Amino acid sequence: MLTCKELVARSSDYLDGELPLGEKLLARQHLLFCKSCRRFIKQMRLTQATIKALPEAPVDDIDEIVQRMTDAQRTQDKP
Amino acid sequence: MMGEEQGRLLERLLAGEQSAFKELVDTYQGAMRAVAYAIVGSRNADEVVQDAWLAVVRNLAGFQQRSSLKTWLLTITANTAKNRYKQNRREVLLDDLPAPHGSVGDERFAGDGHWLLAPSAWHEDSPEALLSQDELRECLEHTLLSLSELQSSVLVLRERQGLELEQICNLLDISLSNVRVLLHRARLKVFATLEHFEETGQC
Repeated sequence: MLTCKELVARSSDYLDGELPLGEKLLARQHLLFCKSCRRFIKQMRLTQATIKALPEAPVDDIDEIVQRMTDAQRTQDKP
Repeated sequence: MMGEEQGRLLERLLAGEQSAFKELVDTYQGAMRAVAYAIVGSRNADEVVQDAWLAVVRNLAGFQQRSSLKTWLLTITANTAKNRYKQNRREVLLDDLPAPHGSVGDERFAGDGHWLLAPSAWHEDSPEALLSQDELRECLEHTLLSLSELQSSVLVLRERQGLELEQICNLLDISLSNVRVLLHRARLKVFATLEHFEETGQC
């Protein structure tokens, strides 16, 4: 049986599907009986989803970059 | 981006359509920046990304579509970064910098490994609800900035960009076990910030 502390230590590997089969089963068994750890895993998933949803900073010099790229392409195309 | 969509974008790029380049930069600059940031650090990341874009233009005609466009772009970025800093390639730093609201540390558990301070229920249960609070958004940005460059990049590449762990290893030249450690520590710190905000209502 895993302890809660051990479950938390393995939580990222559990979420990423990186646990070997035996350990995955141990984690599932622990979660079946432990409400606090179920809540922790749920909140970790929410944490992941929140990072994903956090707006990305816009590219502020996009026009300049695009201009340099099209210029570079034109120079390259010339024989 | 699906295969067909990617094919159309490539055609427009090869034809030199400015709007296609804009779409490309807009879509992938964030991921490229995260790769550059991990390898050369924040000071030089933007320069490396700019060089990488020019390398992309030079090699566009030769892109065979054996990998996805994203993988190809990120590989070019990683190579540009590594070439420039070949001489002083940094060691992988697993150093854990302190985060504004800590992590989920040993103090949360009793001697027998059970929770001493178990997580309590949160008020919001969707990312949209959480992020609708300006203060929390700022608070999260602050926590992300407190992470080491490598830790933050691994987190962004995994969660925001959806890369597989193996792809992250290959791009950044770090072992799978190191990626797992970096990712886990980063997630726990962000978790601690969310938890703190949910409990106290402030950053």
